[in-house]
Amino acid sequence: MDAVYSIIPAGVFSQVFVGLSRTTILFIVASGLTLILGVLRIPNVAHGSLYMIGAFTAFSVTKLTGGGSEGFWLALVIAPLAVACISLIAERGMFQFLYEREHLMLLLLTFAISLIFGDLVKLVWGSEYKSVPVPHMFQGFVPLFGGLPFPLYNLFLLAAGPVVAILLWLLTNKTKMGKIARAAAVDREMVGAVGINVSRVFAIVFVIGCYLAGLGGVLVAPTVSVTLGMDHNLIMEAFLIVIMGGLGNIWGALLGALIFGLTQSLGILIWPKFGIIFPYLAVVAVLLFRPTGLLKSTW
Amino acid sequence: MMKKRVLLSLSMVCIAGLFFFGLPTGCSPAAQNTIKVGIVDTYTGPATTFTMDVQDGFKLAVNEINAKGGVLGKKIEFATRDEKFKPDIGLAMAKELVLNEKVDILMGTINSATALAVSDFAKKEKIPFFVTFSKSEKIIGEKGHQYVFNMNENTAMIGKAAAISLAKKPYVKYWIAGDDYEYGHAIAETLWNNLKKIKPQVQKAGESWWKVGESDFTPYITQILAAKPDFIIVATGGSGMVNFQKAAKATGLSQKIPFYQHTAIELSVLKPQEMNAPEGVFGTANYFFYYPDTPSNKAFVNEFKTAYNREPRIGALSGYMTAKFIAEGYKKAGKLDKEALIKALENMSLESPVGPMAIRGCDHQLELPMYFGVTAKNPKYGYLVAGDIQVIQAKDYMPTCEEVLKVRK
Amino acid sequence: MSRKTISGMGAGIIILLLFPVFLPRFYVYLASVILLYGLLATSLNLVLGYGGIFQFHHAVFYGVGAYGTTLMLTKSGLPAIFAFITGPLVSAAFGLVLGIICIRLSRLYFGMLQISLGSLVWAIVYRWYAFTGGDDGIHGIPMPEMISSPKSAFYFTFIITIISLYIMWKIIRSPFGSVLQGIRDNPVRSGMIGINVRRHQLLALVLAGFFAGVAGSLFVVVDNSVFPDMLFWTLSMEIVIMCLLGGWFTFLGPMLGAAVIVGLRTFVSMYTVYWALVLGIIMVLVIFFLPSGILGYAVEKFERGFRKPEGGEQ
Repeated sequence: MDAVYSIIPAGVFSQVFVGLSRTTILFIVASGLTLILGVLRIPNVAHGSLYMIGAFTAFSVTKLTGGGSEGFWLALVIAPLAVACISLIAERGMFQFLYEREHLMLLLLTFAISLIFGDLVKLVWGSEYKSVPVPHMFQGFVPLFGGLPFPLYNLFLLAAGPVVAILLWLLTNKTKMGKIARAAAVDREMVGAVGINVSRVFAIVFVIGCYLAGLGGVLVAPTVSVTLGMDHNLIMEAFLIVIMGGLGNIWGALLGALIFGLTQSLGILIWPKFGIIFPYLAVVAVLLFRPTGLLKSTW
Repeated sequence: MMKKRVLLSLSMVCIAGLFFFGLPTGCSPAAQNTIKVGIVDTYTGPATTFTMDVQDGFKLAVNEINAKGGVLGKKIEFATRDEKFKPDIGLAMAKELVLNEKVDILMGTINSATALAVSDFAKKEKIPFFVTFSKSEKIIGEKGHQYVFNMNENTAMIGKAAAISLAKKPYVKYWIAGDDYEYGHAIAETLWNNLKKIKPQVQKAGESWWKVGESDFTPYITQILAAKPDFIIVATGGSGMVNFQKAAKATGLSQKIPFYQHTAIELSVLKPQEMNAPEGVFGTANYFFYYPDTPSNKAFVNEFKTAYNREPRIGALSGYMTAKFIAEGYKKAGKLDKEALIKALENMSLESPVGPMAIRGCDHQLELPMYFGVTAKNPKYGYLVAGDIQVIQAKDYMPTCEEVLKVRK
Repeated sequence: MSRKTISGMGAGIIILLLFPVFLPRFYVYLASVILLYGLLATSLNLVLGYGGIFQFHHAVFYGVGAYGTTLMLTKSGLPAIFAFITGPLVSAAFGLVLGIICIRLSRLYFGMLQISLGSLVWAIVYRWYAFTGGDDGIHGIPMPEMISSPKSAFYFTFIITIISLYIMWKIIRSPFGSVLQGIRDNPVRSGMIGINVRRHQLLALVLAGFFAGVAGSLFVVVDNSVFPDMLFWTLSMEIVIMCLLGGWFTFLGPMLGAAVIVGLRTFVSMYTVYWALVLGIIMVLVIFFLPSGILGYAVEKFERGFRKPEGGEQ
């Protein structure tokens, strides 16, 4: 290994792996977004708010279970479900009437909902910073790559990403529901015509997509401070990832998240001061050469 | 058909116009029976955690003053506006407060850009403006004028205070990191320049800057660790404070390389993390509810806790003292005159929960002590607090009048 | 245009011109803000409503125009008039460059690419302390004597807005405008009958950028400051909302939308800090019950009412 480090500094490896773990959160959130975009054609700006609600709910759950770090596992189960419930209400109460509307209108509607959610979160949880402790078994770090520390929790995230990706793939490709959803994404009249309740399929897909936003929120909570406005940064990144990967393509979301996460963490090494522009440059480059994203879009 | 459309559109615009312009102008009271203060601040997003303290501290003092009969027989009243961290909206709201609500005094904001824009407006309108949380040194420096007052520390003061304390430590090889915006750069720069002046042998090993609101610091930390500096200056603000500390703990950075953050030892950063915050982080702050352990501070803390069921933080003190100064200023002036208020406030000293505080006459900067400390566990609290506190007196870490007035245009 | 329309317009203009005479200063200021946001929204609608192009980051051109004007005013010794010409021209140039890069993409992809590029412009403005003042922005920008008071600033804003609106109206009614709307309704067919689709759309983007720059310059006149937030994507969202809320298939809809948003922001925030919540609820209601916007709905009602007895004009 030392021979390798003499060519490529250990820091680069560490950076890459940290970038990958960051990718996990981005991927989970973006995959939900792309699922909803691909099947329901809703550019869901409120997705970021659901992510925020997921994080705040995770805080409440860990707090209610005594503030111990083990509450995290309970939160991991409960918080995304809570988010899914909220989204089910939103879908049945609102979106199901609007599927035929102009995309711009749906964009506006979801933006309005994100404004409402933003203020509701402030009403419910107040304005203090919140913090969710790292679960006990993942506290601390392991020395990796020439002794540079790598947080255990990031390792956990690295493992979680592929698991979610595979489960999603199984869901969309191996289950009947997934196949119907994919067919509906291509031609919803046709699916309706063969006697399938498209509206119910849409509701399920929407809820699954939002569940993923909540899951992302829970997973990110131990690494950051849970604050108002945490939806803001994320939603733009998630949209860019989805666009880069190809609308509606889950593997595209994975690829987009990889590119986004890696360009960001490697950009810091190349040009520290302007590291943050690299992901945007990547999006520009991708769209210039592949105007509809890297992988096949369902649109 | 088109003409109907145009005609209709026009009438709609006119009706909309009349609708808005015809609306009553809020709660305008009978003229001059009260002293009106307009607060423009951010009550949306992460900054809210600080701005609510300012507002609550201010409210506490105002209630106290009004219960005693007000000032010159008049009660103090205040109106708040949420600028949502957007300077264009903040400026519009300040204008609304002055032109429509007819406030006598403006107050706010956590956003430096808004503070500077409102300050410029206050100067034109000759309205006293009390800056309660923005840390920009330009407010009383480069863009200072006689109507603006800075009621909290600024980046020049933070940098100098930290440099004084850090110079006493044995570290030589420094790494500088921070939020890539004015606040981060200003703190890092003044700190570094002052440190080099006091201790010329210090070296800079490197720098890293991340975007404001960055949530994952692990990549930056591994980069810094690879460079092996003795000490890191971390110039972050807001929620970045907690995020960085969490990442420092997770990567073991806090055990390997000591680092400094302004407000690292402050309640808003440490309390949310409970016992999980890293120990041994150096920081500066202007207020603790537990230090100094004097009767006046205890009384203030108790009062604040009874009213709002939480401990006061730096913003609370800043808001509280702003109200006190406004009241005492008017009393000393003896009349409700803005120019007289400003004259009265210059060089005025008041007893605060943490000892006497004065407004410096030359630049309208509040003179307040700075505390340097290190995060430590304390059996009395369920979260980490500042330990090993050293007090840096205002006169030692404030830029001199000459230095401030030199940059003023 | 008929005499009736012209007299109606004349009356409207006169009422607005008299604003500063009988209204307090605050309302004069508010009217100026509404006018400049209205102009900004209308310029977006040129490409969004009439061009069918998803211009998601319109604020970039607004901000660039404001910065262009400001930097000319503060850093060059040239007369102010040059600054007010430079600002919009720089915006138009940005419109051209960003347009050339994005124009190959369609709909949502166009919008997202524009957001990425716009974010790069924002990042540069946000960081380039020496030139743009960084995140603090530039304040207390000196104005020529003629337009330095709130009243004269209002008149200046008003006149420039009316002229700009008139030009945009003419553009939409011109053959170019018709082609643009044809492209919006059916880009493929337009291409087949020999229209250079991209060139038309590009010209529309340049024009929209120009007028956004005009609005940016007006902001400098009214508020004497510029901030990087003027180029941030959240403002772009707000402008899109103004268009949709007012009615994006009507010419004056965006102006009405701007009045509603600015009005809400001002008056609701007097009573509560939860004005985003109020705005959100109103938006949801509008989307549900007035899908073509407030003005769009009014026009539909109005026309239907008249069309029935006339047996369907057009």
